[in-house]
Amino acid sequence: MPDFTPFLVSGLALAATYVLSAVGIVVLYRASGVVNFAQGAVGALAAFISWSIVERGGPESLSWLVGVAVATIVSLAYGRLIATRLVSTDPITRAVATLSFALILLGFMGYLWGEAPRRLRLPTDTMSFELLGVRVTLTRAIAFGLGVSVTAVVMLFLSHSRMGLQMRALASNRELSAMLGVRVFRIDGWAWVISGVLAGVSGVLLADLQRLSGQALTFAVIPAIAAAVIGRFASLPATVAGALAIGVCEALLTPVPVIGPFRSATPFIFAVGAMLWMQRKPVFVYR
Amino acid sequence: MTDRSLEGVSLAVSSRLPFREIALCAGALAALYFLPSFLTGYWLRVLISVAALVVASLSVSVLFAQLGMVSLAQFGLLGVGGWFALRISHGMGAPFELALLTGGAAAALVGLVVGLPALRMRGLYLAIITLMMAGAIQVLISAFGFPDGGAGILGKSTGARVMMARPFLAQGDPAYFRYAVVIAALCYLLVLAHVRGRPGRAWAMIRRGEVCALAGGVHIVAYKVWAFALAGFLAGIAGGLLAGGVGQLDGSAFPASQSIMLFALTIVGGAYSSFGPIIAGLLLRAFPALLNELHVDGNIATMVFGVGLLHALMTAPQGIAGQLGDAFRAVGKFFKGNGGTAA
Amino acid sequence: MIEIDDLTVLFGGVRGLNALTANLPEPITGLVGPNGAGKTTLINVLSGFIRPANGSVSVDGKDLKGIPIHKRAAFGIRRTFQNEQVVENLSAADNVAAVLDNVPTDGQPRRALIARALEFVGLGARADVLGRNLNAYERRMVEIARATVGSPRLIMMDEPGAGLAQDESEHLRQIIRNVHSYCGAQVLLVDHDVDLISATCAATLVLDFGSSIAYGPTPDVLADPKVRIAYLGVAEEGV
Repeated sequence: MPDFTPFLVSGLALAATYVLSAVGIVVLYRASGVVNFAQGAVGALAAFISWSIVERGGPESLSWLVGVAVATIVSLAYGRLIATRLVSTDPITRAVATLSFALILLGFMGYLWGEAPRRLRLPTDTMSFELLGVRVTLTRAIAFGLGVSVTAVVMLFLSHSRMGLQMRALASNRELSAMLGVRVFRIDGWAWVISGVLAGVSGVLLADLQRLSGQALTFAVIPAIAAAVIGRFASLPATVAGALAIGVCEALLTPVPVIGPFRSATPFIFAVGAMLWMQRKPVFVYR
Repeated sequence: MTDRSLEGVSLAVSSRLPFREIALCAGALAALYFLPSFLTGYWLRVLISVAALVVASLSVSVLFAQLGMVSLAQFGLLGVGGWFALRISHGMGAPFELALLTGGAAAALVGLVVGLPALRMRGLYLAIITLMMAGAIQVLISAFGFPDGGAGILGKSTGARVMMARPFLAQGDPAYFRYAVVIAALCYLLVLAHVRGRPGRAWAMIRRGEVCALAGGVHIVAYKVWAFALAGFLAGIAGGLLAGGVGQLDGSAFPASQSIMLFALTIVGGAYSSFGPIIAGLLLRAFPALLNELHVDGNIATMVFGVGLLHALMTAPQGIAGQLGDAFRAVGKFFKGNGGTAA
Repeated sequence: MIEIDDLTVLFGGVRGLNALTANLPEPITGLVGPNGAGKTTLINVLSGFIRPANGSVSVDGKDLKGIPIHKRAAFGIRRTFQNEQVVENLSAADNVAAVLDNVPTDGQPRRALIARALEFVGLGARADVLGRNLNAYERRMVEIARATVGSPRLIMMDEPGAGLAQDESEHLRQIIRNVHSYCGAQVLLVDHDVDLISATCAATLVLDFGSSIAYGPTPDVLADPKVRIAYLGVAEEGV
C-alpha cells in the first residue's frame, strides 16, 4: 500500500490551481455569459512570459508578476475588443470564439517557444517546511493559501460589494441591468480582468508544480471547466469543492498501479457524473 | 443559432431531381478520377489524407448545420475508428470494407456512450463533454498506441510494424485515392439520404424550436442521438480510410487540439454547405503540407486557423464556401442583368 | 370530448387555473376570456407543456396524465400556435410530412395524405414552396394542414384569426367549420375575435382568473351579464 501523504499534499496544491482557474471561469460566466475555453491558454502565456524573463536574467521574484499582468491585459483585450462584438450571439458561439482565441494563443506559444520540456522555477520552490512528516515547499503552501483566500475574497466581493452586486445583476439579466443604469461595459471589463488575473496566477503555479508546456497548460482548462460543471456554473462553493475533489483525486491516483497513467481522465469522469446527477429528474422548461 | 441550415445547398429544397447539381458532381468525380496521373507520390498521399479528413469534417458539419450541435471530439473519434479498423484488419485478416465498417460502428458507439449524458442538456454541455472526450481519447491513444500487427488486446507488434492491408481493388496509391473518393461520395450520399428523409425533417423541426418539435410529435433526444451516432460513424469511417492510406496511425497524432482544429476549419470552410468539408479537409491537411514545403513553422497554421474561426464567427457564419457561393450568385446576377425576377 | 376535472395550475403563488371543471363535447368549442384568464395555460396543459398541480384532463375518455409530450401528437392532440412554427427550410409538403412522420397513417400512402391535407387548406398548388417563401396566412394554413393529418382527435387553435384580411378571415371560418367533417377531430378555438367565435363555435367556455364563469351555446354565453362585465364590457347608462 503506497504512502499517499506526499500525493495528498501535492494534490492539494494542484487542486488549488484548479480552484483559482475554476473560480475565474465561473465569475466570468456569471457576469458575461461566456464560458472561457481560453482560460488555460492565457495562464500558459503568463507562465511563458515569466520563464522568458528569468531566462534573460530578469529578477525571479518579479517575473511572475509581469506574467500575470500580461495575462490580465490579454484577457481584458479579448473581452473588450472581441467578446463585445459577439454579445448578441448565442452562448455557444461566444464559447467557440474563446476556443479560437485559445488556438491563436496555442499557435503563438508553439511558434515562439516550442514544446521542449521545461520547468518554471519560482523562488519559493527552494523554501520549505515540514507538515505531517512531509516536506512542503513554500510554493505549494502559497498555492493552497491563494486558493482558499482568493475564493473567500471573491465570494465576499460578489455578495457584499457594490460592483459584486452589479455583476450578479448582469449575470441575471444583461439588458435589464443596462436599463437600470448598471455600467454593463465596465462591469464586464472587470469580470475579464478578474478572469485574467486568476488565469495568470493559476498558470504560473501550474507551470511550476507540473510542467511548462503550452499544450498541457492550455488543456488544464478541462479540470477547471469540470469543476465549473459540478457547480452548475452558478455556485462558487460547489465549484471549489469540485475542483478540490478533482485535484486531490488526480494526485492520489498517481501511485495506483494500472489506473495511474490515466488519472488525467479524472475531470472527465467527474463532469459526466455531475451531468448525470443533474438529469436525474426530467425537467421541461416551457418558454 | 438562426435557421440558416443548408443555405446555398440544393440538398433539401424540392422533390424534383436537381439535375444541374448531379451533373456538376459527376463532372467533379470524373476530374478526380484522372487527377492521380498529374500528381507526384507525396501530393497524392496528401490528397488521400484529405479525402479521409473531408469525411471527418462532414461529421462535424452534419451535427452543426442540422442541429447546431458542437462536437469537439470528432478527430478523437476518427482515432477510435482507426484503432478498431486496424485491430480487425490485423487481428482477423478481415477485408478492408469490413474493417472500415467496424471502425465506423465502434466510433459511433463510443461517441454515443460518452455523449449521451450531455445530449439532454443545453448545447454548451455537449461542447464541454466532447472537449473532455477528446482529451480522454488523447490520453488513451498516446498510452496504448495503434495496432500494428501484434497479438493481444492492444495488437502491438514486438517486431516489425505491419501496414494495414488495403482493399483488394485498390492496392496502389492512385487506385486507393479513387477508392477514398468513392467512399467519401458514399458518405455524402448517406448524409443526403438522412437530410432529405425523416431524420432531416425531425432535425429541422428541432432547430425551429423545442416547442415546435414536441407539438409535432418529434422525440428530441432520440433524434439528437441519431445525429450524434451518424457523426460518430462518419468519423470512424474517416479513421479507417486514413489508416488504410497511411498504412499505420501514430499514437502521438491525436491531441485534443486536432479535434478543435477540425471543428474550427469546418466552420471556416462553411458548415452549411456541401463544399465546406472539402475546403476544411484541404485546409487541415494540405495547408500545413504546403507550409512545410515552404519551410514555414506549422504553428503559424494553428494561429491562422484560430483567426479564421474568429473571423467566421464574427462576420460570416456560412464560411468560405458560403462566401464563394454568394460571390458566384452575385456574378451570375451581374451577367443575367436586371431582367430576372428577385430570387 | 374533453373532460376537465378540478384542474389547478400553479405558477409560484399565482393560480393559472383554479379548480377548473368543464365538459366540452361540441365539435367546435370556443375558449374566450380576458388576458391572463388561463386560456393558453389550459391548452398548454392539454399539449403537455405544463403539468397541473391538481386535477385531471381527459380526451375521448383517456386521461392525458401518463402521455409524454412528444407522444400526444400521435395520440391525436394537435395544435396551431400564435407565433407560427413553420420551418423555413422545408417545403409546405415537407412541413406537413414532418408531423406525419410521427403519427399513425393507417397504411395509407403518405404522399396522398399530405396532398389531401394541403388541398383541404387551399395550398394544393403551393406544396413545393419553401416555408420562407410562404406569406403569413399560408403559414397559418400549413399549421392547420399539419394538425389535420393522420387521425387527430383534438385540434387546438391559438388565435388563428389574428391579423387577417377580410377574405382570409372568411376562408379561415370555412376551414374551421369543415374540420370535423373532414377528419373527425374536435376543435378548441381560442381567440379574441368574438365574431369569429360566434360564426364557428356552437358552444363557448369563458374563463376568468383561471375558473369557468360561463359555458353553453355561444349566443347565450355572449349575452350573459357576467361575461359582459368580465370580458366584453358594459354599455354606459344613458349613452
